[in-house]
Amino acid sequence: MTPPGSIIELADVTKVYSRGEVAVQALRSVSFVVHEGELLAIMGPSGSGKTTLLGILGCLDRPTTGSYRLVGQEVSTLDETRRAHVRADRIGFVFQAYNLIPRTSAYKNVELPLVYAGVPARERRSRVLEALAEVGLSERAQHLPTQLSGGEQQRVAIARALVVRPSVVLLDEPTGNLDSTSAEEVLTILERLNRQGATTVIVTHSSEVAQRASRILRLADGLIVSDEPVESVALGAAG
Amino acid sequence: MTMLAEHWRIALGALRANWFRAFLTALGIVIGVASLIAVTAVSAGAQSEVSNSIRRLGGNVIKVDGEFISVGTRQTATDRTITPEDVAAIAKLPMVTAVAPHQDIESLVVSSGRRQTNTWLAGVTAAYADVQNQRVEAGRLLSSTDFSFGRSVMVLGLVASDRLFAGQDPIGKTVRVGNQEFEVVGVQARRGKLADENLDNRIFVPLPLVTGVLLGGGPNVVHADLRVRSESDIEPAMDEISTALRSQHKLPASYPDDFSVEDQASIVKEAQRATTTFRVLTFALGGIALLVGGIGIMNMMLVSVHERTREIGIRKSVGADPWNVQTQFLIESAVLSTLGGVAGVLAGIAATRAISTFAGWQTVISLPSLVVAFFVALGVGLAFGFYPARRAARLDPIAALRYE
Repeated sequence: MTPPGSIIELADVTKVYSRGEVAVQALRSVSFVVHEGELLAIMGPSGSGKTTLLGILGCLDRPTTGSYRLVGQEVSTLDETRRAHVRADRIGFVFQAYNLIPRTSAYKNVELPLVYAGVPARERRSRVLEALAEVGLSERAQHLPTQLSGGEQQRVAIARALVVRPSVVLLDEPTGNLDSTSAEEVLTILERLNRQGATTVIVTHSSEVAQRASRILRLADGLIVSDEPVESVALGAAG
Repeated sequence: MTMLAEHWRIALGALRANWFRAFLTALGIVIGVASLIAVTAVSAGAQSEVSNSIRRLGGNVIKVDGEFISVGTRQTATDRTITPEDVAAIAKLPMVTAVAPHQDIESLVVSSGRRQTNTWLAGVTAAYADVQNQRVEAGRLLSSTDFSFGRSVMVLGLVASDRLFAGQDPIGKTVRVGNQEFEVVGVQARRGKLADENLDNRIFVPLPLVTGVLLGGGPNVVHADLRVRSESDIEPAMDEISTALRSQHKLPASYPDDFSVEDQASIVKEAQRATTTFRVLTFALGGIALLVGGIGIMNMMLVSVHERTREIGIRKSVGADPWNVQTQFLIESAVLSTLGGVAGVLAGIAATRAISTFAGWQTVISLPSLVVAFFVALGVGLAFGFYPARRAARLDPIAALRYE
């Protein structure tokens, strides 16, 4: 059933939050497919449902109705423990606020997903060092988050997201807290990783960031209002 | 295994980061465990004191005392008296192997030179040493020749000896009781206490000198100690003695006994039972300290979970399942209470030593009590850490990640 190469398949996904008496419809029937190797940007004004969508894509949350297949596996009905295992094996997160664990070295932060994924200790070391090298922070392995700049912290977060070799990397405003130089570094790394085959979904309201994607999906009021490739722009930039 | 090591690392790191808070929280456990250990040690010490005491005093001893009774306004003719005839009647009972009548003056001042002391004088017969398992530390016991020659001789208890002849050898010295002088021939070996009586603050002289000379009265005695063959004989012998004495004293059926019959070992045990109440109370206080300590741990863990809400969210987002989170926090509270338990064991040993030194109580610290105390502390940590850990495990990852 699953077309080869599709990583994410959402079909008629809705999400309703009940805030006391009032039910808030955060997502109304969202369907789309993300293929292997895509770099998808999800855009939309605040309140459009993009954060809710990211929570569902990352298996942090469950859709109220609809189906979500991740690499062919129906994950919308899994319980909390099973979803945690899906997160451990298939998903890498990068947040706007970096979200490194305090008082814990860059090395230990990057190692953490491997611990939860049950990767044996002897294998972890080489993978952590490899991931840190990937983001250019081999020299900073023993630094604590407080000893790193914002850009460096975000690169550690990217290494942490990559280290489990996830099926998809989900980023929530990854450059939102960064100055333009650091943001550029982070985006360059993301593009390189994407070229190497990492399927990537970026939630952003920055069109500069979105222009780096291969496809932009726009949300408004819980619905997809447009879904277009950005090849023309990329070609235009190249020309 | 790899996960467990990670949990340990996180737990120790979290406790180190807030070490003073952790220390204060663990204090409840320290106090609880320490008091349980100290109370158990004092208890075990008292227990062994009882068995030592019974061993020193000798088993299978029954004490018969005359008692005052009043029926209406009349007193019986035999009040407070065990007569030589009574002693003879008791001696005839088949279960009784030896009878030692004695007459005591329970408080009097005796002197040697310028030193004097208040003590308890017992006039005894040669049978006394046998019945009461009396031994000497120096010199000799009263002998049958002392009695037959009517010698004015004396055996001193350890306390009386110390007070009259501190540091000197009392053998051959003279002790004055009223106008009568006695030559010290022996010092009794340590006897310990019987209920609240210090059996070492005693002096022993031949019975006839007490009844005849010191008290200037007739041949009546007030007390008789006697020995039976075995422990199983104690109860029936006590019944037989009662029957014999009632018939000796010609008591009408409606009159109460004008004497008492007691088993010496049960006096010792009874005296200890009184302090048992106190120990149970202290034990309960130790338990309450542990309970309060446990609540303290729960409180600290709830605060810790709250403070680390975002960290929990991060861990969940990178793949920690509820069980991982729960185990992490359970290990943290277990580590905290276990450290408290270890400190409590050390504090308990120190407290027990202090009690031995300053209160002079015998104490016995047993390894099992230390092990049990340790595991109780661990159990408290797990029990009171459970709810906070569960709360952490159930946090919604999205809400936790957004938490500021």
